[in-house]
Amino acid sequence: MRGRALLWRVVALPVLVAFGLVYLFPLYWLVATSLKGQGELLGHIVPTLVPQAPTLEAFHTVLVEKGNWKLLRNSVLVCGATVLTTLTLGLLITYPITRLPVSRRLRVGVLNWALSLRFLPPVAVVVPYFGVVRTLQLYDNPLALVFIYTLFNLPFSIWMLKSFLAEVPLELEEAAFVDGATRPVSFFRVVLPLIAPGLLAAGIIIFAFAWSEFLFALILTQTPRAQTFPVGVQAFVTQFNLIWNEMAAAGLIALLVPLILMILARRYVLAGLTFGVIREK
Amino acid sequence: MANLGDSMHPALPRKGGRGGLSRQERLAYWMLFPVLGVIFCVVTYPFAVALVQSVTATRGGKFVGLLNYQSSLENPLLYASLKQTAIYAAIVLPLEIVLGLLLALLVHRTVRSSWLKLVLYLLAITPIVIPPVAVGVIFRLIYAPNYGVLNHLLIMAGWIHQEINWLGQPYTAMLAVASVDIWQWTPFVYLVLFAGLQTVPRESVEAAQVDGATSWSQFWHIELPYLRPLLLLILFFRLADVLRVFDHVFILTGGGPGTTTQLLSLYLYRIAFKFFDTGEAAALAVMVMVGISLLYSFITRLLPLERD
Repeated sequence: MRGRALLWRVVALPVLVAFGLVYLFPLYWLVATSLKGQGELLGHIVPTLVPQAPTLEAFHTVLVEKGNWKLLRNSVLVCGATVLTTLTLGLLITYPITRLPVSRRLRVGVLNWALSLRFLPPVAVVVPYFGVVRTLQLYDNPLALVFIYTLFNLPFSIWMLKSFLAEVPLELEEAAFVDGATRPVSFFRVVLPLIAPGLLAAGIIIFAFAWSEFLFALILTQTPRAQTFPVGVQAFVTQFNLIWNEMAAAGLIALLVPLILMILARRYVLAGLTFGVIREK
Repeated sequence: MANLGDSMHPALPRKGGRGGLSRQERLAYWMLFPVLGVIFCVVTYPFAVALVQSVTATRGGKFVGLLNYQSSLENPLLYASLKQTAIYAAIVLPLEIVLGLLLALLVHRTVRSSWLKLVLYLLAITPIVIPPVAVGVIFRLIYAPNYGVLNHLLIMAGWIHQEINWLGQPYTAMLAVASVDIWQWTPFVYLVLFAGLQTVPRESVEAAQVDGATSWSQFWHIELPYLRPLLLLILFFRLADVLRVFDHVFILTGGGPGTTTQLLSLYLYRIAFKFFDTGEAAALAVMVMVGISLLYSFITRLLPLERD
């Protein structure tokens, strides 16, 4: 027994370290490139593995000189609004199906329908939506994005909220009714405080999902008035002259926001990615 | 916990109201139906639009019957894109699952410190939460012909003598975009399976060890049965994602060189927004939606889902 455990460890360590190095290198390279100055990029035909003179020049250029802070602002606004609308609608749907006596068929139907949306390739949906958005004159308007992101995140929020709500004992609410509370009062005083941490985590995950979305933002926006940050990042990559440090800086900014948020909500991330089907702990 | 509601609701007597509904039930429907109704319309409307578009001519909007369907089905590029998607899935899914399973087992068997587990956890969620666009950027920095670091590392190591245009040749381009998927999603498989391994009851593992089971039979007879439903779920979510893959391929190769990495999503995008063939794009969208719904209803039957 002891011997076997030791053997596992002797084998495991080098394998894990090797995996770790290969796996971390791309991230290291992004950070390293973003810290290089223009001079260092042009001065070396072979890229330097470690930035010789680390500088934040690229970040300054990307955000201030090239005005991408506007896209950053759009992203924050769009994602924030998406979180609010998605959670509100999600609660309006999950509260009745988890805490009121609806038929099992309706409940399962709603949940299944929500899961089925996970399978829909956005690119198939974007074609008809493009037409609809044009007709409603919402092209190049952040509202169109909020609208669509809400729709696409709603299924996830339904599955998450359903599992949070199911964990609040019905007895607690019933006790509140006995004390003369109306349903809205008991919801805001009893249920909401209990699910608040979960709600916050779901909000963070929705924010990050919306933050990462690219296809709809690419197709439905055109100017810095409505474009989101990923669209700006993409512009750095597909432009003719590749300015590597700026491209890396833009990429790094794009990933830092969701990364920080997800670390805050780390207990719920897995549940989020799998619609709450897999719970941790 | 989820059963709490269950045990109450079906037992409730159907008394009260004229429609045979209790007050609570009526409240539930009053809350649900407006929201669900609006969402239903919002989801269905574009589908209806797509149906209409698919049977009308792109310019002029005259009714053309199934002409758009016919022309989209006659386009050999459609079948090429289906083939590319299948190749992509065939590279990506098995590798991610096998690697993720290996890593999960390795860490589960050897790592005891909870501090180290947390570090591994944070490392593993990192690629998953990175926006696909940023992932595209990262791998442009690696595979690009001139500044790409992979070529320089390989030249420094003496393995190659001149730069390889990874994204510019059919085979390497497909491998490159697949490698990105593997880099990004193997950690997800690892996380799910690792979480699953934690739920295997200690007693059965210890009993097996007392009986002298080898590591292999411990895995095969005790742990794998526990992981089986999770493996199915992983397959479900990853398959759904592979059918949607767009962002990183768009940024790395744009579907090229030629059409060798033009997966289904990129093909649809090209028809709709490069060729502006609304009719054909709508016909394709309708067919994809119907096809995927069928696939979905088939796959969910196999899933160990807790449905309510």
